[in-house]
Amino acid sequence: MAGGLSLYAEGTSLLHRAHPLTKGVLTLSAIALAFIAPSLWWVVGILVVLLALVTAAGVLRRFFAVALAILLPITLLLLAVQGFANPLNRTVVFALGPIVYYREGLAFAALAALRIACLVSATFLFSFTTRPADIAEALMQRGLSPRMGYVVQSALQIIPQTLEMAGRIQDAQRARGLETQGSLPRRARAYLPLMLPLVLSSLVATQERAMALEVRGFGLKVKRIARYEFFDSTLQRALRWALALAVPGAIVARVAGWR
Amino acid sequence: MEVTRPALVFDRVGYAYEEAPREAVSDISLTIAEGEWVGVTGPTNAGKSTLCLLAMGLAPHFFGGRLKGGVTVLGKDSRQVSVIERSAEVGLLFQNPFTQVSGARERVDDEVAFGPECHGVARPEVEARVAEAMERVGIAHLAARHPMDLSGGQLQRLALAGLLAMRPAVLLLDEPTSQLDPAGAAAIFDVLAGLHQRGTTILMVEHRLERLCELCPRVVAMAAGRVIADGPPDEVFNREAVQERVGIPVFTRLARDGALPRPWPVRVGDAATAFAKSIA
Amino acid sequence: MPEIRLEDVRFAYPGGVDVYPEPGLTLALGDGVTALVGENGAGKTTLTKLLIGLLRPRAGSVTVQGEDVAKATVAAMARIVGYSFQNPDDQLFERTVRAEVSFGPRVLRKPVAEVERGVAWALEACGLKGREEVHPHDLGLSERKWVAIASALAGEPQVVVLDEPTLGQDYPSRERLRSLVAQLADMGRTVLVVTHDMDFVGEACSSTVVLSEGAVRYAGPTAAAFADRDLVDEAGIEPPHVTSLARRLGLGDAVSERAFLAALGR
Repeated sequence: MAGGLSLYAEGTSLLHRAHPLTKGVLTLSAIALAFIAPSLWWVVGILVVLLALVTAAGVLRRFFAVALAILLPITLLLLAVQGFANPLNRTVVFALGPIVYYREGLAFAALAALRIACLVSATFLFSFTTRPADIAEALMQRGLSPRMGYVVQSALQIIPQTLEMAGRIQDAQRARGLETQGSLPRRARAYLPLMLPLVLSSLVATQERAMALEVRGFGLKVKRIARYEFFDSTLQRALRWALALAVPGAIVARVAGWR
Repeated sequence: MEVTRPALVFDRVGYAYEEAPREAVSDISLTIAEGEWVGVTGPTNAGKSTLCLLAMGLAPHFFGGRLKGGVTVLGKDSRQVSVIERSAEVGLLFQNPFTQVSGARERVDDEVAFGPECHGVARPEVEARVAEAMERVGIAHLAARHPMDLSGGQLQRLALAGLLAMRPAVLLLDEPTSQLDPAGAAAIFDVLAGLHQRGTTILMVEHRLERLCELCPRVVAMAAGRVIADGPPDEVFNREAVQERVGIPVFTRLARDGALPRPWPVRVGDAATAFAKSIA
Repeated sequence: MPEIRLEDVRFAYPGGVDVYPEPGLTLALGDGVTALVGENGAGKTTLTKLLIGLLRPRAGSVTVQGEDVAKATVAAMARIVGYSFQNPDDQLFERTVRAEVSFGPRVLRKPVAEVERGVAWALEACGLKGREEVHPHDLGLSERKWVAIASALAGEPQVVVLDEPTLGQDYPSRERLRSLVAQLADMGRTVLVVTHDMDFVGEACSSTVVLSEGAVRYAGPTAAAFADRDLVDEAGIEPPHVTSLARRLGLGDAVSERAFLAALGR
């Protein structure tokens, strides 16, 4: 089953119900602050808040399944490379014969890994609790043209649709005896039989869809009616402003000597 | 049938696609009254789909090409109305349901709402129409699914629901049940029968002659871009030219092979009566 | 010995429920023409993909012509099974009809003489004679579908799978299809047709398998497939038109026109 490219998980938590713009601002500012903040404990604080929100949204299990797969290898790689090879390395943590592990590298790796953890957590928090279509819808409610809104919405679906089409084509050619896996020459031979139908079918599909959209009145100049009322509140508006202002504020603080 | 104003008028229409050497349809003159249910059939390349595209205005507005004669739908000349404007009154169901979904919506119910929303229908009204359209074609239970996860048959129902939610006065259907199992097809034809009863004009392309004869009071048989017969199904399928170039319904062929006297029946009920008489 | 045998086959798409519920699908098919019918989503296409190894069962075994599909590559199965998909545009890529039709046997590296014999027969049987040098995309959908069917036949496979061959086909094409499957049956091939077209089932298929919600509800001669009216309703199918007429006249359950006329005594 294709299901779109969406990571969205059905839910009714506060975060699921929050305005997409609130979640968008939250995500972007959390990422920005994590990279602006000067010291480890600030970043830990941001990560703790994000993880608390992930828990509150009821997607903790899903989060660990996906996020760990990305974060674990990155963290291990950072810890290994930096601890052994960071040019600032002075203070020895431990030594195994000729191999020496240093404290400066460890600190650098920990900060970098935590920042990446914030980036990944904030992104997944947003993806798990926000339908892709709602992003476009929220933007259209703030004045994005319906045509651009359609472009955003359909762009989010074009990859899974193309993958599905490619899967059907691959099935059809394999059933004729074409080997699509294996050695390079073998795969090169499979290129045309797989690509040509894909390109042609995509072109035809695009033309047919353009017709179908006209038949449904897409592009008619009428006053756009919001599809949903997103749940918004004074608190959310205040939060959006606060977060949005916190980012330039933090930059100014850093320049002024925040350590 | 009481006389009403015509819904569709083809007046000596010829049409050739861009760069095509020959016309896809030639010399078509047809008048379809409001509330009629007309079946269109014929072999491949007879021009059936082109007829639908002409009635919708996609030919020539979308395809370019050369249009001769006049196509008038609900009193409006094709040349003067854009497809988008016409979509307020006329709906077209394409052969391929996969490309008829908008490709932008992530839920079946949102997909059904796409057309009415484009037309600026008020929100509560959209909700009501979406619910009704999904219920009618039997996809209410799929409301929260992703359109891409649906089977061909389910997509075909979804595409039809998307049109019904726009409440068209004229429906153009190009093989509306090709992807459906017999029970699913029967359910869709029930929906169409209901619409027909409430006055919707339906032009339907269908290869299955038995269905066509059972459902449509009037059949247009086409071949090589021309109308070769137009009338009640019993009349149309008793013509030799139609039998030869378009085909012959099962019951008609049985009557012929069973040496019944002409005219041969085209529907199961008439066939039963005719055979019963001959047995007696 | 049956040509196709499925035993306790279980299968699920990623993230989906089992297509074939406990204890799994068991089915044996002999030669001749068999129709595979049932409602949308009954598991028909899944079954045909299991036969050629495009899908692998989670449990159970699939044997085609004595070959254990689990141990064979799709390419190896393609020598035994000719498979025509619903949508021809998923495969057409060559510049001429002839090149397209001969593609399968060529990638299977069959001897040239064999390829030529198979291609010539397939083109003839599919009504494409005289169209060999045409670009497939210059043909209409119906003819493109015939090109796809011819491609499936050109390798002279012992087993032929046709998925919805009558879909969108006009009357003359359906007639041609009837004679094609009859010809294949005469040649001793095993033909499996997935279809919603019950008239075609009655006229052209000697046996019928009815699937409903992933279970085999009937497997046997077509003549008796439509006798159980509850099953017909449950499985989302309907009897052929000729059967409805025969019943109204009290002539039994004739499923083909020939049977009907025989019952009528003409």
